[in-house]
Amino acid sequence: MILHVDMDAFFASIEQAINPRLKGKPLIVGSRNSKMHTVVCAASYEAKAAGIDSGMASAEAFKICPGLEFVAAEQGKYIWTSRQIFKLLKGFGFEVLYASIDEFQMDIMGYPDPDSLAKRAQGRIYEEFGITASVGVAKNWLLSKLASKLNKPNGVTVLTSANLEEVLSRFPASKICGVGKNTALLLEGLGVKTCLDLYQKSAQFLEHNLGKYGLNLFISMHSTDSFDSLKGPDEPKSIGHSYTLPRAVSNPQFIRAWLRTLSEMVARRLRQDNWESIAVHLWLNGPEIGNFGAQKTFQQPINDGFEVYKRCLKIMAKLGPQTPLVRAFGVSCSGLSQTAYARPLFKEQKRRGDLLKALDSINSRFGDNSIYPAVITLAQ
Amino acid sequence: MRHSSFKPEARWDKPPMPNDADRQNPDCINEQVQVLALFKSAKILPRLFIWKNRIYKIKRVTYNWQERFGRETVSFFSVSTGTDLYQISFNNTSYIWKIDKIIG
Repeated sequence: MILHVDMDAFFASIEQAINPRLKGKPLIVGSRNSKMHTVVCAASYEAKAAGIDSGMASAEAFKICPGLEFVAAEQGKYIWTSRQIFKLLKGFGFEVLYASIDEFQMDIMGYPDPDSLAKRAQGRIYEEFGITASVGVAKNWLLSKLASKLNKPNGVTVLTSANLEEVLSRFPASKICGVGKNTALLLEGLGVKTCLDLYQKSAQFLEHNLGKYGLNLFISMHSTDSFDSLKGPDEPKSIGHSYTLPRAVSNPQFIRAWLRTLSEMVARRLRQDNWESIAVHLWLNGPEIGNFGAQKTFQQPINDGFEVYKRCLKIMAKLGPQTPLVRAFGVSCSGLSQTAYARPLFKEQKRRGDLLKALDSINSRFGDNSIYPAVITLAQ
Repeated sequence: MRHSSFKPEARWDKPPMPNDADRQNPDCINEQVQVLALFKSAKILPRLFIWKNRIYKIKRVTYNWQERFGRETVSFFSVSTGTDLYQISFNNTSYIWKIDKIIG
């Protein structure tokens, strides 16, 4: 049995707890301070009721609801709250895992009264932080996640063998995590409309129509989880960062400064966890190029931001000599392996390694970005 | 779905640029203040603060959280005086209290 805790409009609720005057009002949390040139990264339930949701451009949100309240996101308080909720849930004595910054899962295998446990968890979270959570309980992680979304906000849904089919029949298949717009359309064409339709399809049917993903979906829906069965090798496949600008730009210096910034962020995370990468993936989005993405695999594994950046430039060269208009960037590194110590052969290699160590140690002691390559200031 | 390798920090793809905090908060005050606070059961409970020779009695701490900046930990408090809402912070290394901003 898995108990899934999904915080209700997490960032917006924290902002409403901080400033009680925002309670009951339509509120959006923007990823940047410039109110009209940002993206909604969280919306309160009052804003959601007006048709506003995460991912929407803030200008569009203000068009829908001119009286909207706005707060710029400050990541520190959301991260801290997420960590505290994780600790609080651990206090119940079950194994807890993160599903995302605002979603947590508890393995409550064999617990006789999941409904009261769910309510106790909700109560403790509200008592400590003044924000609400919705909880779903089911036989596996996928169904418990679905259950947590069925009775929002501040609801509890327990899916048992007695009510499972009845509840699943009431919701469209798109409610299931991983079933996006396109998959939902495809499924609808095959006569699969509700979650129950999907649940009742055979593994062969799903694999035939959706490929490997279909088979995984079948397994996820029908398994009886404990965390032991979920745990695979605990290694990330890739590490990446992306960023969306307020508007598209074509200034090559500015674009390169952003690529360097993202490369440094990715490389710092690689080094923190002792990874090296051989493959770099660059993703760009802009009005002329649409979505451009390309990956290149190299022989030499790296975890130096400058090297990641140079490899990004090589990939970007595929677009031709003219710098395109770019609105969003993404840099990620895959093909990860644990850094093995090898005595540097060349003086320059040793010098570079020592420099990275020194930079990391300064940033660890005095805070991120206490020291950084000067070129990234051009991205401001 | 990967669970145990997840870090809440990694969800943020907003690069913490140099001077980001100031850049993001045009309302940033960032001035030292004197604070009367109760340190009780590993919790800090600010009761009043003095800013520009004026005393602000704290009626309610609406929220508090902590952030690490390198080796330093800073505790943040959003505090209500009944009429206004302020954000103050305590640096656990330098023991300096600051008023960060007026929330509203």
